[in-house]
Amino acid sequence: MAPVKITPKRESLLANIRVQRFTSGKDRSPYFDNFKLEVETGMTVLAALRKIKDEQDGSLTFRAFCRSAICGSCTVRVNGRSVLACSTQLLPILKDFRKGSVTIAPMANLPVLRDLVVDIDPVIDKLAKMHPYLIESPERVPEALERESLMSRDELNAFDYMTDCILCGSCYSACSSVAADPSYAGPLTIAKAYRFSIDVRDSFRGIRDQAAIDQGLWSCVQCRKCIKVCPKDTRPADTIRRTRKLTIDDGIRDTPGSRRAKAYVADIKRFGQVNKPMLPVVVFGTKGWEAIEVAEAALTKQGLEPTRRVCKLPGQEGVEGIFGRVRAIEDEEEQGR
Amino acid sequence: MTRIHTADAGTRTPFRVQPEMSGRLTYAFYSGCCFQGADARFFDILTQVFGRLDVDLQLIPDAVCCGAGVIEERSELASLAINARNLAGAERMGLPFFTPCSTCFNVISNVQKRLAEDPRLHDQVNRILAPDGIEYRGEGRLTHTLYILAQDVGLEKLGERVTHPLHGLRVGSFYGCHTRNPADIQGYESADNPTSLEDVLRVLGAEIVDYDTRDNCCGYHVAWPNADLSKAMTGQVLQGAKKQEVDLMVTSCPLCFKNLDGVQPKALAATGRDFQLPVLYLPELVGLACGMSPEDMKLDFHVVPVNVRL
Repeated sequence: MAPVKITPKRESLLANIRVQRFTSGKDRSPYFDNFKLEVETGMTVLAALRKIKDEQDGSLTFRAFCRSAICGSCTVRVNGRSVLACSTQLLPILKDFRKGSVTIAPMANLPVLRDLVVDIDPVIDKLAKMHPYLIESPERVPEALERESLMSRDELNAFDYMTDCILCGSCYSACSSVAADPSYAGPLTIAKAYRFSIDVRDSFRGIRDQAAIDQGLWSCVQCRKCIKVCPKDTRPADTIRRTRKLTIDDGIRDTPGSRRAKAYVADIKRFGQVNKPMLPVVVFGTKGWEAIEVAEAALTKQGLEPTRRVCKLPGQEGVEGIFGRVRAIEDEEEQGR
Repeated sequence: MTRIHTADAGTRTPFRVQPEMSGRLTYAFYSGCCFQGADARFFDILTQVFGRLDVDLQLIPDAVCCGAGVIEERSELASLAINARNLAGAERMGLPFFTPCSTCFNVISNVQKRLAEDPRLHDQVNRILAPDGIEYRGEGRLTHTLYILAQDVGLEKLGERVTHPLHGLRVGSFYGCHTRNPADIQGYESADNPTSLEDVLRVLGAEIVDYDTRDNCCGYHVAWPNADLSKAMTGQVLQGAKKQEVDLMVTSCPLCFKNLDGVQPKALAATGRDFQLPVLYLPELVGLACGMSPEDMKLDFHVVPVNVRL
């Protein structure tokens, strides 16, 4: 077989790099500086920032350390997307946006200290409340030093993917719910808590369940921006759904979110469709009647006849068997553990 | 697994559906919950507009609700199984799977992706479906209104059908999250810099206005667990567009439409703002530009009045 040529074609493009600047205590508000730079094939955002700092403006301030996408300290936003500066190339972005200019800003959702450096304390404080460490279960972690705590492959797989998280905060910066409610824990904190809660050697799951609920587990809007930006492909929004499942399995069933989940499963199993008109009461209890009445009045005004029955198309019932067989498999797996 | 981020990662060459000899395009239609029941008018609007563009829809029989990611909070396997069943319906029809709902698109795309990546899971799902005589082969293609308009019908043909261009109308475009995140769900276009919606709007004659909440989330999916948060998010999107003095907003996602139009008065009241910004669901505006009347597009069903004379 002929050797495959992997060397990329060398290109270069004179571009305008817009960098957000701000010095706390000095500037009233952030502003942008424009730097002209020859952007070459393979040049990373970090390489560009260093070049600007070396050759154009020594006062430009940013965080970076390992240059290997592992220390998680160089997260910035490039054209709005949270990325690791050290593992993100500039040229493809310039091409994607078909512009000769690219904007580099600090992470969102955290206070800016200077230029591209943010204060990460708020997210670290939230993480600390989640007990993000292993509290040994005496059943799985033997006391005797010479005995190991063994795990099966499946047990490891349950959280292995989450150990790739480097706490770079890209997901936190991209999070829609943190932007709208700064008290919400954010993707990385919940995902990191899950990594320990699902670990068979751990014994602190119940405490973390409650900590997650207290810090807004059900406030995740599932926009899935965190999945898009995660440089390690850990898919935090998926893990948030798994954490929701954990809390329900562990008995925290008195939340609107858990009632919604229960109703969706029951309705789809029975009707193949969610009984939307009745959701307010199912989720919020008797308080929901008011919402139903408002919705019905609106429909009547539009000349539609309101209904409290599920609206479905013919033939949509018929997945009950599927749900039954799924349940049987899940029960079997549960017993295997 | 480390991903080296390049902005064009995930952007493959678009795979167009080739029209039949008659020039018509046919899709297996998966309705999702917002094209039936109290929202059945969306189905009428969509079929009328697609009719003008020589697009035919055939309903997938027996398709069930995708679960919107919510049933995954109880069982991921159940979500995989029922959506594999939904996809198998389109496979049996030999047609591309089309859903106009961005959330269905997202959820079912993820199911397709996971089953393609994990043959063991694929087999397990097929064993669950087998007693019903259903097999999911994993061959089909999944598409959304955006890509049917921008790529399959194509901008040229769409332009030919425009009889009432929107000259001078200042429009704020809003994709919503679920056709964009994560970037790898289908690969029709760049997830960081998508252009399909603006491409379509430009062909209709609109002037595209950029605004700083364009990439925000409308908050629809948090409405049940946390209504206040949902309203805050909706309000932020609307205020960003309002600041740029757009004439109206257009969204390609029916759920974003429900929040941006239906919840608008409450969302703005919650944030202490008082204005009305008309929001249209993309097919409605395409219909108007192609000469259909506001009555055909049932614009009087909007919560925020829309007064567009073309």
